[in-house]
Amino acid sequence: MPNRPGRHLRWPRDGGRVLVACAAAALFLAPIAFMLMTSLRQIGVPLSRQLELFPQSSSWGNYPAAFDLAGMGQSALNSAFVVVLAVPLTIVVASLAGFAMSQLPQRARLALTFISFAVLMTPVTAVWLPRFVLFKEVGLLDSRLALVAPALGGTSPFFVLLFLWTFLRVPSDVYESARLDGAGALRVWAGIAMPLARPTSVAVGMLAFVAYWGNFIDPLLYLRSREKMTLPYALQVLFQLEATNWPLLMAGAVLITVPVLLVFVVAQRSFLQRFREQGWLGR
Amino acid sequence: MADEIEIETAPHRAAGAIATHRRLPYRWQLWLLLLPYLAGLSMLVVIPALVGLPLAFTDFNALQSPAFTGLDNLAEMSGDSIFWKSVFNSGVYIALAVPLRLLGALAMALLLLRAMRGIGAFRGAVYLPTVVPDVAWALLWLWLLNPAFGPVNQLLGMLGIPGPAWMVEEWGARYAVVLMMLWQIGEGFVVCLAGLGDIPREVLEQSASDGANRWQTFRGVVLPLLAPILLILLFRDTIYSLQANFVPALILGNGGGPNYATTFMPMYIFTSAFEYLRFGYAAAMTWAMYALTALVLVAQYGVARRWRLGFRDAE
Repeated sequence: MPNRPGRHLRWPRDGGRVLVACAAAALFLAPIAFMLMTSLRQIGVPLSRQLELFPQSSSWGNYPAAFDLAGMGQSALNSAFVVVLAVPLTIVVASLAGFAMSQLPQRARLALTFISFAVLMTPVTAVWLPRFVLFKEVGLLDSRLALVAPALGGTSPFFVLLFLWTFLRVPSDVYESARLDGAGALRVWAGIAMPLARPTSVAVGMLAFVAYWGNFIDPLLYLRSREKMTLPYALQVLFQLEATNWPLLMAGAVLITVPVLLVFVVAQRSFLQRFREQGWLGR
Repeated sequence: MADEIEIETAPHRAAGAIATHRRLPYRWQLWLLLLPYLAGLSMLVVIPALVGLPLAFTDFNALQSPAFTGLDNLAEMSGDSIFWKSVFNSGVYIALAVPLRLLGALAMALLLLRAMRGIGAFRGAVYLPTVVPDVAWALLWLWLLNPAFGPVNQLLGMLGIPGPAWMVEEWGARYAVVLMMLWQIGEGFVVCLAGLGDIPREVLEQSASDGANRWQTFRGVVLPLLAPILLILLFRDTIYSLQANFVPALILGNGGGPNYATTFMPMYIFTSAFEYLRFGYAAAMTWAMYALTALVLVAQYGVARRWRLGFRDAE
């Protein structure tokens, strides 16, 4: 008698699994919890030699101190500039490509899928130098636009493949009536395909946001001017200034992490909760 | 009925035919939609990767044009002890981090596949460390692993275990970089979740009714069905590993220390190119990194085949 996948806990059979799941969650969250707790230590209070889960005297004072010292105001604007351009561009380019691939005949689709995988397997390290030369030639060196450039190619073939797999699940007759009305490929993509792929767009948007927001290597390679640097670089500046002031550094780390966490919490539903639970593992 | 449909669609068909007559055929339009992606890939990845490699045979500082020097860079590389140490460091990192990360991702996916109250929160918790920006994550671990005040050694102390001096010792530093990467396994976790969710229920029930226990079902049915996905994850993580430890080496190892123990290949390539402006030498090392990657991938594929985890067995 096959059980329906349970929506609710069945004690005590599920008890063990819930305990293990709680332990796993705690393990994964522990580093972030320590980051937060350390950042709340009052300025000037010496570090503890004993393990301390919550600082004795807590304050938010490290936050404005870290923000000012690292010049995070300007860096935050730069990061925002990059993300606002790169994330929507990524979604558009990747979904256009994924949609087109899903509509092309099988042979072309397989060839393009193979190319995408091959590019996915190329280490970014291999393109550091030639990109540097390329950006130098086209005048993108020391320009914030150099950080946005990867979005022109959809950022990662992985995003294109995500859209491809989404669009392949759409029955082809869904597009048929629009095409009979004389709609071109662009109108089918915008009017029918994209509204169906909203969860994928949200997931890709989130992943792209994470990638651009946390990108540390590209500004290091392609930017020179301090005032153009993004937030990860500002955090490294803070580290160079106050290498052992852990509460201050953790406050800085929390500051640049919070926006990503917010985006993640909003978007995670669309790509962490869609998996069907079934079979051997669903019993 | 049939007549009605005929009347309904006929004018549309005609209109459509006229409309498409004046523009590109649908398939050509699709290729136009693909254009930005293909152009972006060629400009930013394919052509740079191809153009970069011949630089290995030159002396190039990005200011003057490259001067051909034949195999000089290769000869220098073979006698460069820091280069060989970076090969060793990257090898150790791949050998330790990649299998552990894959196992961790699979274990978490098995644990959190089935629905239960709050499953989204549990999955979110496992994924969360993956979205923390690299620099913040590296700084956090530099603090967690602080020998005197860091929570990790204090925790070990409470258990009566003397914690290592981590970033002061060569092996402590290598283990530290592996350790901090074990938390950022969100991508593999989600891919495993998707793969496990796609296994048809009937296949598993068949196995259970044949009297297989859970381990036998896992080894005999689930693992072979999941094998192609695991193999792709293994390859991807191996390649990713060669770039992922760059930021940890820069922050935790303060630029690749102690005593070059965290000078992984990307770190040394970066230093050679962008600090010493030796782009030719860096390109030669990029070749070496490709070679090492290819070697590891072939070895992994061989092992996977031997364990009957290859693509063919999954068909």
